[in-house]
Amino acid sequence: MKVTVLERTGQWIIVLLLALLCVSVIYPFLYMLAISLNTGADAAKGGVYLWPRSFTWINYEIVLGNPVIRHAYLITIGRTVLGTFGGLAVTIMAAYGLSYKHLPFRNGILTYILITMLFNGGLIPFYIQLFKLGLTNTFWVYVIPGLFSVWNMFVMQKFIQGIPEVMIECAELDGAGPFRILLQIIVPLSKPMLAALGLFTAVGHWNDWFSGAFYVNDQNLIPVQTFLQQLLTAQDLSSVLSSNQNQEALARSSMSNITLMSVKMATVMISALPILLVYPFLQKYFVKGVMIGSVKG
Amino acid sequence: MVARMLKYRWQYVMILPAVVLLFLFNYIPMAGIQIAFKDFAIGSTIWGSHWTGLENFAFVHEEQFWKVVKNTLYISVLKFIFGFPLPILLALMINEIKNSAFKRFVQSVSYLPHFFSWIVVAYILQSFLTLDGGLANDLITKMGGDPIFFLGSTEWFRPMIVSSGLWKEVGWNTILYLAAISTIDPQLYEAAKVEGAGKLAQIRHITLPGILPTISIVLILSIPSLITVGMDQIYPMMNSANQEVADVLDTYVLRNGLQQGYFGVATAVGLISSVISLILVLTTNSVSRKINGEGLW
Repeated sequence: MKVTVLERTGQWIIVLLLALLCVSVIYPFLYMLAISLNTGADAAKGGVYLWPRSFTWINYEIVLGNPVIRHAYLITIGRTVLGTFGGLAVTIMAAYGLSYKHLPFRNGILTYILITMLFNGGLIPFYIQLFKLGLTNTFWVYVIPGLFSVWNMFVMQKFIQGIPEVMIECAELDGAGPFRILLQIIVPLSKPMLAALGLFTAVGHWNDWFSGAFYVNDQNLIPVQTFLQQLLTAQDLSSVLSSNQNQEALARSSMSNITLMSVKMATVMISALPILLVYPFLQKYFVKGVMIGSVKG
Repeated sequence: MVARMLKYRWQYVMILPAVVLLFLFNYIPMAGIQIAFKDFAIGSTIWGSHWTGLENFAFVHEEQFWKVVKNTLYISVLKFIFGFPLPILLALMINEIKNSAFKRFVQSVSYLPHFFSWIVVAYILQSFLTLDGGLANDLITKMGGDPIFFLGSTEWFRPMIVSSGLWKEVGWNTILYLAAISTIDPQLYEAAKVEGAGKLAQIRHITLPGILPTISIVLILSIPSLITVGMDQIYPMMNSANQEVADVLDTYVLRNGLQQGYFGVATAVGLISSVISLILVLTTNSVSRKINGEGLW
């Protein structure tokens, strides 16, 4: 095969552009990592671009010693686990129940569900409803309102339709009820799809800062991302240092070593770390997930 | 009928949680829209409040409201102009890479930012653009320029939002195009090569027509979201210095409603944007039915 000079140059230009894109994604994390591992006062002088110049763990000790942050972590983990598994359960039950074509009122129920995709009351009536149900200022505001996802239900339904009906009919002849069929046939067969949708739901919970910022007043209930959102606009260190249990670490280091920026970078690295860690293992699932979801827009 | 419904009783049990959740968190808030026409305050009941007619809609005479509408459209149109073609271009470039290890690497890296929250993105921007010790201003001052306060400037806000949005989502948005490209019959390329078509000719006559259906689906799906710019991205970057250009419909509703307690006004603004997005969805769907012979539903 003959490759022209033009094509070879083209190939190099493309490789170069894409390499630049990769650097633009990876570099910010290396930069933030370097700042977070550098003493604050030194980093503020500038010049720390890739490697910590004056290495320290102090920023991480400060952040991890803060009970508010530690508590926020627990809230985030709790809502992610409950929200993801509960959400998948509610959604796949609805998808499976509605996959029975002869179910009376099936079309009516589907229309009822579809309408909510087109129109909603908006933020304020939604908030008032949360308030009236007594969900505001409770942990459950993170979990309950989001348990059912219309979009995920349609994706699941499409997948369930692909399961041979013979299998379900056989199980029915053997006397299995719908719940048993769901648990022993549908769920095991849907594992790749459940993994993909579960991943998206989990990431959504992990990254949500909005509900923590507006549906909750109690600082003991905020998730990590809301803590980060509050810290983003903080003017001084008091929001991180107040009630810090890590007095020992604070005493060891003179305060000038810690700056707002270095503590911020440590906090953001800690919040992003779990995603960075699981990302390589989950890649194969999410590409598949997008495919399933996109077959019909 | 009743007998048939009894036969499917367990299926109804499965669907019930979803139906109840939608009723509580979608349908009741829809009824709550009447707040837009009432003098509701939290603590009073929606049904007990007085009707005020269109009083809450007085904002349409205010300059501030139209500025917010203009900001919303400005940002969403800018995001669309760049955000729509770039993933296609990126997918075409990724497809041209011959080294498959590098290809996989580019894909993994470019999807990554999609999994981080907008708060994390805001931190990345802050760490690079801040006045004290940020990389961008370090470079500017080293080259003899005056430092720029990117984070609190009206001129830099839109470029910042558009470019960080691109950075976060461009890789993710290539997944569908790459999938579409992979379904194109390789024989077409062989035939084109035999006829002497160069790379560019192949892209123009085979690849692009091959992914055209995907392009049109993505286009259709992106139109209804033109009115919702997304609080998630804007809110963390907004401050008193850039509010002139940063304030969009979503943040306007948030400020007037949840933060200042003007529930009626905020609901009215929310209602207007819900209606506009409903019109956009319905119009897009019927246009797409006419052109593609198939709509979203």
